[in-house]
Formats: sequence, structure tokens, C-alpha cells
Amino acid sequence: MTTWKLITLQCKMELLRMVRNPYYIFWSLAMPILFYFIFTRVVNTGADDAGQWQAHYLMSMASFSVMGTAIMSLGIRLVQERVQGWAVYMRVTPLPGSVYFFGKMFVQTVMHLLCIIVIFVAGYLINGVSLTIGQWLLSGLWILIASVPFLAIGTLIGSMKRVDTASGVSNGIYLGLAITGGMWFPIEAMPSIMQTIGKWMPSYHFGGGAWSIVRGEAPGLNNFLVLAGYLAVFMILSTYIRKKQQAD
Amino acid sequence: MAKSTHEPVAELRQVTKMFGSKKAVNQVSFTIEKGSITAILGPNGAGKSTAISMLLGLKDVSEGEVLLFGGSPQDLRVREKIGAMLQEVSVMDGLRTREIINFIRGYYPNPLSLEEIADLSGLTTEELNKWAVKMSGGQKRKLSFALAIAGNPELLFFDEPTVGLDTTARRQFWKTVRQLADQGKTILFTTHYLQEADDMADRILLFHQGQVTADGTPEDIKAKLTRRSISFIVDADHEQVKKLLHEVPGVTDVYEQGGRLNAVTDDTDTALAALFRAGLAVHDVRIDQGSLDEAFDQLTMEQGEAV
Repeated sequence: MTTWKLITLQCKMELLRMVRNPYYIFWSLAMPILFYFIFTRVVNTGADDAGQWQAHYLMSMASFSVMGTAIMSLGIRLVQERVQGWAVYMRVTPLPGSVYFFGKMFVQTVMHLLCIIVIFVAGYLINGVSLTIGQWLLSGLWILIASVPFLAIGTLIGSMKRVDTASGVSNGIYLGLAITGGMWFPIEAMPSIMQTIGKWMPSYHFGGGAWSIVRGEAPGLNNFLVLAGYLAVFMILSTYIRKKQQAD
Repeated sequence: MAKSTHEPVAELRQVTKMFGSKKAVNQVSFTIEKGSITAILGPNGAGKSTAISMLLGLKDVSEGEVLLFGGSPQDLRVREKIGAMLQEVSVMDGLRTREIINFIRGYYPNPLSLEEIADLSGLTTEELNKWAVKMSGGQKRKLSFALAIAGNPELLFFDEPTVGLDTTARRQFWKTVRQLADQGKTILFTTHYLQEADDMADRILLFHQGQVTADGTPEDIKAKLTRRSISFIVDADHEQVKKLLHEVPGVTDVYEQGGRLNAVTDDTDTALAALFRAGLAVHDVRIDQGSLDEAFDQLTMEQGEAV
């Protein structure tokens, strides 16, 4: 079988499953949009520049949504497929493990893109957020690409033995990262100890790139470096765990 | 019976698998020939599934070598020639039975047609249209079998295939396996039912505590299992008597049951002579020609307690 044919087949299979399971999509969209509505329309945050705040918080919520999809839906799915014996069965078939993994990453990317588009549209509809075409595209692209370290977290969660544990742990990590990284409230509004911690969180730098773009700046070098560092650590960890599980 | 051609399709060479400090499989070697039907027979925990997992490349060996079609089980070209029905029932959410089978067919260069697969696995049109996750346990087993044969493999693995199946389903399953064997497919299955191994296989590998303790035709194995034994009561330190008996040529096992010592041996005369020569106060001696089922139950029970 040519690899290309296998890739197409696998992506088709994963897409079909994604479309038929709107549950995940709904949750990764409903909460961020609700938050966006509350913190830009209902609660008065006393921001000096309302337009700037609405654009900033839109980026927070788009990153928040994509981060959740990357950590939760990928991680829990991987555990489910292993617990049900499906992942093991796949290793007996001639499908290369890399293609199986690619299929998963492909469908994640499609979901992330969907989250970004829907939340951006929501921002436009709710507050009439206006950015230049370049800013819309670049911030969307940033969120899409910089989500990779969180996919690696999802893969790590995916090596857990039970769905319940994976679900609990991924929820904890997701919300913890969102809060400490300033996605819910800007970390400038937090106590200084929280600010110090937050500046080392991958979520802070994930949001940070997009916040810079809507301010009219380029993402900082520190954003790139911290995210790349986390990615490297997560990948090493996940390779190590996979090797260990195979040996058992 | 299908004819085997002495062409090796699967091979374990001096394979050991450690789980922590426990040896699940200990120095096992065997070769499976093309066209043969082989049963790996043994009680739960004897290392049967571990052996299959290593043959399939799902678990790494601790020592030794595994060869499938002369290559590594991880080789994709090799995997195109094998099919397996594992113990865990595999399903995928969001897909219908028909769709899953078709996707899996797509992984192989020369798959069977959906009609052939449905026919062999006994999946009805209604079942094919069902969501895979909504199927009953029995239906999922049929799907699992369908996936094993989907790629038209040369070598088929069935790990405890009939556990949880009723008598009718069991008979149907073996009938189909026989059909596949008649087409020249090589079949390797694990079971803890002696009857199944005897009915289906032309060769039995008897697993016991991680080792192959017997390897031969069902007739050979039955002869080996129904060995004669002596049992007696002795007023001496049992451990010492056991030690003595273990040194007697021909004695394969010594165990205690209901206050009596039992020694399994082909040559009961020699064992008795050894006992009397040692001047032991042995009385109430019995010589038994155990039945096949008893012998196998004995093996199973012992193993069951050890686990």
C-alpha cells in the first residue's frame, strides 16, 4: 500500500468520526464564547481602551479553546482507543504507527481551525472586533501553530491507563494553565508571585503571541523559546513513556 | 487435515519474557509450518497470550528472537500477511460496522471482498449497518473475526477465540476456521480447553509455567498427559521423600494431595523400588492410570493456585 493512500484513508476515517461526534466541538466552543460574552459585555472590566480589551480577550478565548481541544479531546481519545483495545489492534495491521498518529494530528488541526474561525466570528458578531486582514490571519496562524506543545501534552495524557484519570488530570491541567497563563484574567491583575509563575507557563506565551499580534507587534522571541522548550520536554517524556510501555 | 509444507512461517527462538523478576515465558522455542493448525494449550497464566503478543510484535522480548515470514513482526510487509483476533474486543466509536471493515480492508494490498468477509464471519446486513459500539458482545466478536480475515492473511492468530461464546457460536467458529485451513491458511490459536485443541489442531504446544512442556500431535500429548502415577502414605518427612522421588529416573512430578504423596512417572516399578530400597515406612500404595481430563485438570489446578 502506498503511504499516500494510507494517509488519505486514515484522515478520512478520523474526519468522519469527528463530524459524527459534535460533543467535543460543542464544549470547546461553548465555554470560551460564553466567557467572552460575560467579560466583554456583562462585567465592566474598566479597561482604558474597550476596543483593545475586546480584541485581547478574543485572542485569550481562541487560545483557551484550542488549548482545551489539544489537551482534552486528543488525550482522552487516545486513552479510550487504547483501553478498548483498538490501538493495540492497529499495531497488528500494516498501518504504520506514524500514519495512525498523523491521522489524529490532522483531525486535531481541523478542529483547531474550526475553533479559531468560530470564535473569531463570534468576536466580530458580539463586539464588532475589527482587526486588519493581516492581524486576523497572523493571529489565527499563530494559535494554530503554537498549539503544538499542547498537542504534546495531549499525547502525554493519552499514555494514561484509565479514561477517568485522564479526564480528571487533563481538566486540571487545562484549567490550571488557563488561569495561571492569564487567559481568563490578564496576569497583570494578579499578585506578583502569580505573575512570576505565570510568565513561565506555556499558556502565557501561547496567548502572548496572539496578544502581541493584535497590539500590532510581532510575537516575542521569548514566546517562541519558551514554547519550543516545553515542546522538547513533552516530546522526550512521551517517547520515554512509549518505550517503557512497549517493553512491559 | 491441511497439509503443512515444512516451510516455516513463524518462529520463536529461545524467547524469554520477564515481567519484573517473574518469567512469564521462559526459554521458549518453536517453529510453525505453513498450512498447519497449531494450538497453544495451557491453563490461564501459563504464558500463552504473552507468547502470542511477542509473535505479533506487540510486546518486546526480554531475550531471544521472533521471526514471522523470516522477518520482524514489526515489518509492515510482514504485517500485510497476518491477521489476528485478540482478546480485547476492538471497536471504534462514530463508525458503522461496514465502515470499519472497509477501512481496515484498505490497509491491505489484496483484501477479501466485503461479501466474503460477511459470509465467513456470519455478519448480517443488519449488523453491518449498525454502529459498531452498539453491537452486543457476540456481535463484536464476529466483527473482531471479520477484521482478522479482512486482509486475506496467510497466517491467522486467535487468542482464546471462544471464551464467552455459547456452544452454537463456538461450533460455527471452528467450522469457519476449518474452512480457512482448507484454503491453505496457517492457523495458530490459544485455548485452555483440551477438547478444542484435540478437535481442531494437528499440533499442540503444551504451555506450563511459561515453558513448552510438550509439543506434538494431539495423540502424543494425550499419551503424555495420561501418565501413570503412584500414590501412598508415608510416616516420614514429606519433603525428604519428595526429594528422593525427584531423583528417580522417569519421575516428572511429585505432589501432595489429601495427606498422600503422588509421583507421576512412566516407570512405576522403579519409583516403588526406590521407595522400598530407602527403607521408608510406605503403606496403602496405589498405582493409577489417570484419565485425560483429570490429568489436564491437575495441571490447570496447580497452575491456578500458583498464580
